[in-house]
Amino acid sequence: MIRQTAVAMMLLAASGLSAADTVKIALTGPFSGGSAPMGVSARDGSKLAIAEINAAGGIQVGAKKMKIEIIERDDEAKNERGALIAQELAAMSDLSGVIGTVNTGVCMAGDKHLMEKGVTKIICPAAGSASMTQWSKAGVKDLSIFRFAAHDGIQAAMVVEEAINRKFTKVAVVFDSTNYGVSGRDDMLDQIKKQGNKLEVVAQEKFNIGDKDMTAQLLRAKSAGAQAILIWGIGPELAAVSNGMAKIGIKAPLIGGWTLSMSNFIDNAGKNGNGTLMPQTFIEEPITPKAKAFIDGYHKTYKVDRIPSPVAAAQGYDSVYLMAAAIKQAGSTDTKKIKEALEDLKEPVKGVIATWNHPFTKWDPADVTTHEAFRREQTVMGMVKDGKVVFGNDADRARLIKSATTATPAKTKKK
Amino acid sequence: MNAAIIGQMAISGALMGLVYALIAYGFQLTYATSKSINFGQGELVMVSAFFSLTLTNLGLSQHWGLGLSYGLMVPGGLIFGAIMGLVVERAGVRLALEQKSEGWILLSIILGLFFFSAAENIWGRDDRPFPTPIPEEPFHVLGLAIGPREVAVAVGVLGIMGLIELLKRKTLLGKAFEAVSADRDAAELMGISATRTVMLSYGLSGSVAALAGILVSPITTVGPTMASAIILKAFSVAVVAGLDSGFGVVLVGMFLGALESLASFYLGSGWREAPGLVLLILALALRPTGVFGKATIRKV
Amino acid sequence: MKRILLLRGAELVVFGLLAMIPLWVVNPYALGLLTLLAIYGILLIGLDVTVGYLGQVNLAHVAFLGLGAYTAGLVVTKLGLGMAPALLAALAVGLLLGGLLALPALRLEGPQFALATLSFSALSTTALNELEGLTGGAQGLSLNRPPIFGQVLTPPLFYWLCMALLAVVWMLMRNLLASQWGRAFEALRDSPIATDAMGVGTYRHKVAAFALGSGLGGLAGGLYAFNFQYLQPQSFTYDLMIILLLGVVLGGRKSLWGAFVGASVIVLLPNLLSNRLLFQVFSGLGFAAALAAGLQGLYKKTTRPFQALAPVVAMGILVVGGLFVPNTEDWRKAIFSLMLFSVVVGLPEGLMGFLAIFLAKLFRVPHAPLPEPADIDAVLPLRPSDGTPLLVIDDLKRYFGGVKAVDGLTMTVRSGSIHGLIGPNGSGKSTVVNVISGLYTPTDGTIALRGVVLPSGSLFRVAQAGVARTFQNLQLFGELTAMENILVALKGVYQSSLPMVLFGLARGEERRAQAEALALLELIGLRDQALTKAKDLTYGAQRFLEIARALARKPDLLILDEPAAGLAHPDMLQQIAIIQKIHQRGVSIILIEHHMDVVSELCDMVTVLDGGRIIAEGTPEEVKRHPKVVEAYLGQPPEPQLDGGPAPQPA
Repeated sequence: MIRQTAVAMMLLAASGLSAADTVKIALTGPFSGGSAPMGVSARDGSKLAIAEINAAGGIQVGAKKMKIEIIERDDEAKNERGALIAQELAAMSDLSGVIGTVNTGVCMAGDKHLMEKGVTKIICPAAGSASMTQWSKAGVKDLSIFRFAAHDGIQAAMVVEEAINRKFTKVAVVFDSTNYGVSGRDDMLDQIKKQGNKLEVVAQEKFNIGDKDMTAQLLRAKSAGAQAILIWGIGPELAAVSNGMAKIGIKAPLIGGWTLSMSNFIDNAGKNGNGTLMPQTFIEEPITPKAKAFIDGYHKTYKVDRIPSPVAAAQGYDSVYLMAAAIKQAGSTDTKKIKEALEDLKEPVKGVIATWNHPFTKWDPADVTTHEAFRREQTVMGMVKDGKVVFGNDADRARLIKSATTATPAKTKKK
Repeated sequence: MNAAIIGQMAISGALMGLVYALIAYGFQLTYATSKSINFGQGELVMVSAFFSLTLTNLGLSQHWGLGLSYGLMVPGGLIFGAIMGLVVERAGVRLALEQKSEGWILLSIILGLFFFSAAENIWGRDDRPFPTPIPEEPFHVLGLAIGPREVAVAVGVLGIMGLIELLKRKTLLGKAFEAVSADRDAAELMGISATRTVMLSYGLSGSVAALAGILVSPITTVGPTMASAIILKAFSVAVVAGLDSGFGVVLVGMFLGALESLASFYLGSGWREAPGLVLLILALALRPTGVFGKATIRKV
Repeated sequence: MKRILLLRGAELVVFGLLAMIPLWVVNPYALGLLTLLAIYGILLIGLDVTVGYLGQVNLAHVAFLGLGAYTAGLVVTKLGLGMAPALLAALAVGLLLGGLLALPALRLEGPQFALATLSFSALSTTALNELEGLTGGAQGLSLNRPPIFGQVLTPPLFYWLCMALLAVVWMLMRNLLASQWGRAFEALRDSPIATDAMGVGTYRHKVAAFALGSGLGGLAGGLYAFNFQYLQPQSFTYDLMIILLLGVVLGGRKSLWGAFVGASVIVLLPNLLSNRLLFQVFSGLGFAAALAAGLQGLYKKTTRPFQALAPVVAMGILVVGGLFVPNTEDWRKAIFSLMLFSVVVGLPEGLMGFLAIFLAKLFRVPHAPLPEPADIDAVLPLRPSDGTPLLVIDDLKRYFGGVKAVDGLTMTVRSGSIHGLIGPNGSGKSTVVNVISGLYTPTDGTIALRGVVLPSGSLFRVAQAGVARTFQNLQLFGELTAMENILVALKGVYQSSLPMVLFGLARGEERRAQAEALALLELIGLRDQALTKAKDLTYGAQRFLEIARALARKPDLLILDEPAAGLAHPDMLQQIAIIQKIHQRGVSIILIEHHMDVVSELCDMVTVLDGGRIIAEGTPEEVKRHPKVVEAYLGQPPEPQLDGGPAPQPA
């Protein structure tokens, strides 16, 4: 009986939602639990962009201006819930698009439901490589899933490159036991091979989410003679590694994925975190007026003095503008038309990270970068310095300022 | 491997184990009087740590200096912990105990879930550092690096446990506590209120959880999920040591901590917990009432 | 029959409606939720076996879900087999590993059991994570839903498959739990000592129950794998386990419907709460319900003030908070926990427990009529009392550390007699009984029944050998009815094999058993209370029931441990009459008693213990005059008043 009522209520609710004259965009991600700082930052960045768009009257869809309506779903970083949310969203007839997801597993479990229905989704802010390569493996011909994050391949390449540039020969690879950490390890090992095996991996160490004492892993790395630690993980465990290194006297630098720029690393590592290097797509430095407006807006709206995860927030922000541009170009709220527009954005989109010039192209199962917005050029090495992430080198800074003001080179389909 | 490395690992593991022991001690306190355990104890550790952090920052913002605000925060945090413990007792445990049902397990879990969600919304989802006047730089003894904060943990853990045990033995209230632990019905007949004693035990247990939060936070950071991993270990320590064993938790806690450290060194970090878990199941199978627990004779 | 029809009818209607849903709901989300509901239904029915029936906090169930899921996934991806073998393998792995884990874990109780199962869960996650070559580790295992019997499974078909399996599991479990097995599961939660003493085999049943529950967990895992088609070890951890536990208790323990309702709550509620409109509807309705129930409870004084008010406050917080919180999605867990809190506090028996009482009131369903009692001569045939030695105890010793509780006891109990065993407090008589019945292992000495040495240190094996006992501190199965208490112990009727039981082919046997149980109840004068829960009987009736339950073992030797302790005078008379009736049927009895008058009235022979040794033996009259006995009892030499007069009346 309860089920019947519930089903009836579900239908009731679904019909209650379908108010006309709005563009419905779903924001998903982990808003509670361990991955929440990323999920919430991305969501709040997106909401900031949506508020701006709505304040300006909405998106021009065909003849009329339509405001954006947000549908928010917390996947708690759980695959099971992610799958259900994806089913729920896929079942909504008037949904224009989805932005979100932090955890690779959630993409793996859920996105197929969206793909089957052709619902446009921009994965943002993270998710390991597998979230896109699964479609190549499956040989999907027409894909409505896009990704708006520096994929782990790029990041791993930069991390390895940095270690080689700094003339290290022996490194330890340290990673967390989640999907993200393990696929990061694989990407790094892969890149070490690709870049000519110039680094010898003397130790591979794993840690669990929630581990606070990294002494054992670090001592193994130290006794194996590692000169640098390449790390892939999420959250405060990274700080535990950094603090553990200080304690047992490892002077080697920590180089790893972009999550090292999150405030829960920087705050908790304190001065031990100084010198830590990580690829970044956005650095919380008001280098351009647009960036300044974004950073100030975020601080003011959410009453914080620092963004928990600036990268995630900025990517959330820009992805909304990409989606909005696609809706405008499609002149429709139909998610399939939006997907086509997104694959062929005619006008450059001004974002806080860069000015996006034709970021996506038609999906090619043999080349996932067709649906990946980020390229090596938008990514720079960031470095932790006294509680902030600054540019690892000034050349990058200059380049980013340039790319934010001038349009990125148009992406052309590889032949 | 050389002895220095083994020693380093054993020591840093054992010091972490002391935190397990302190939380385990909190389990014992409530189990003694009411045969119930707060399954949301980890959330008590967490909210108390957050509250203490707020107190510290309050002190700091008025330029009192870290030392002074720390002095204000510790008692404040302990009182808050005690209040939270009483809330759990009143809202989650008492009714179930009156009805002689196992509802306390669920209610304490549910309350924990509520505290977790509330903390996420009140203090944010991010892990934050916890300021402390104790320096971080390790000092070296016989080639082993030992952090002053870890020493503070050890002193705090043993200090409060010693204090509570002393109170139990020397004060009237403590004697009432022991009496209810030994035989609830008999104690009631002697005019001791079992309900009040259970309240006392939950209050104390809450304070102990708060202290655990305050002590461990400078090392591990404060965040909504800070205790989720520790709490399961603490539960293991409490049960393996014996839920009525007092100081047994210290030994078991330190042993487990050191074992985990050494296991992750020798077996690879992914298998860190495995030897501890296997030993745990074996220990339980061989001595169900705990390694230091009293063996009971079945009576009918 | 009306009751059965109503119950079966309700099942048919619900399953029928559920089966029809895909025909009129095309929403894939609703279908996805309902599929998960079916899977969780199976999962929770499995969990209910340990949590509800065994009464243990089982934290390993989630591990069996995971192991089942990975087994199914690997069977499909690595072995390339189809769905049917994969599901079977998942079931088998659950059964097998469940049985293995049960061996050490089930010697434990309470927090220790919880911890052992929790550790198993953690180990299983570690293994799934670390065996990367096999499971893909943290990167997960992707699989496709293979066709079953050549049929490609579309979402509605898969839903039907899950529902059909739920229906099958439902039916089998219903039959099993209503049988001797289910009763044994329940009985051993209330008193594991008594089940052993009744020859039920506590340990064996626990292992069976745990393996069965885990097997269902594995099966649910297999379906889970094909539902999500992507597995990761960290999906199967403590977080989910807690939710599952909540589901079982919320729904109502020891109830298939409860498991199903619990599954609905934990599957649907968190997902529905994302919708603000639904949240407001739920919180408003919840508040109204809590308020109405609370006020009524307070007015009628049926609930404690806290129980009545706490749900109102909790739901009030929801309603008021809902107005102020801009984003309910952020507070989803808090909302969920407040709702659960209200339900657990307000309805301690769970939703189904509450509904069952409510529906029973509404429909006034009578219990199925009981059969006529069997002929007591058939149940407990008259035995010749030939006076040959039945139980021979030779130089029995039992020490507890330095305490010599029994120190060299030699005695013989003759067939057909009532042999009294008396002595002051601490004289060792209870220890003797506990050693004979197998609770304690003797330090030294032998006990033989009809010339065969009794097994030592096992209540169960001694019970199997033909000794039955009662307990000084009652060890009834409080949650079972008087009749069920007897059925648990009943010997010689239940012979159907497990498959027969599962498919509901053992009904005739059940009727025969009921008839025998009623005959025994009639013997002790409790036939009209057959359907009363043991814990609700009067104290006297509980004492009588203990005897009837022991008689159900049809024992060669019956040990009555202070059967008159604490009885009021009329009850004591009745108890004496009952024991005499039993004696007349030729049952040999050892009677431990404080009341000298009871002993005098009943016993053919009395052995008097003091300090673990025999100080006197003989007929009641002889013993009463024995100076040592008088001294032991009164601490002074005999006085003439003590033994004078006719057969003493109970004082």
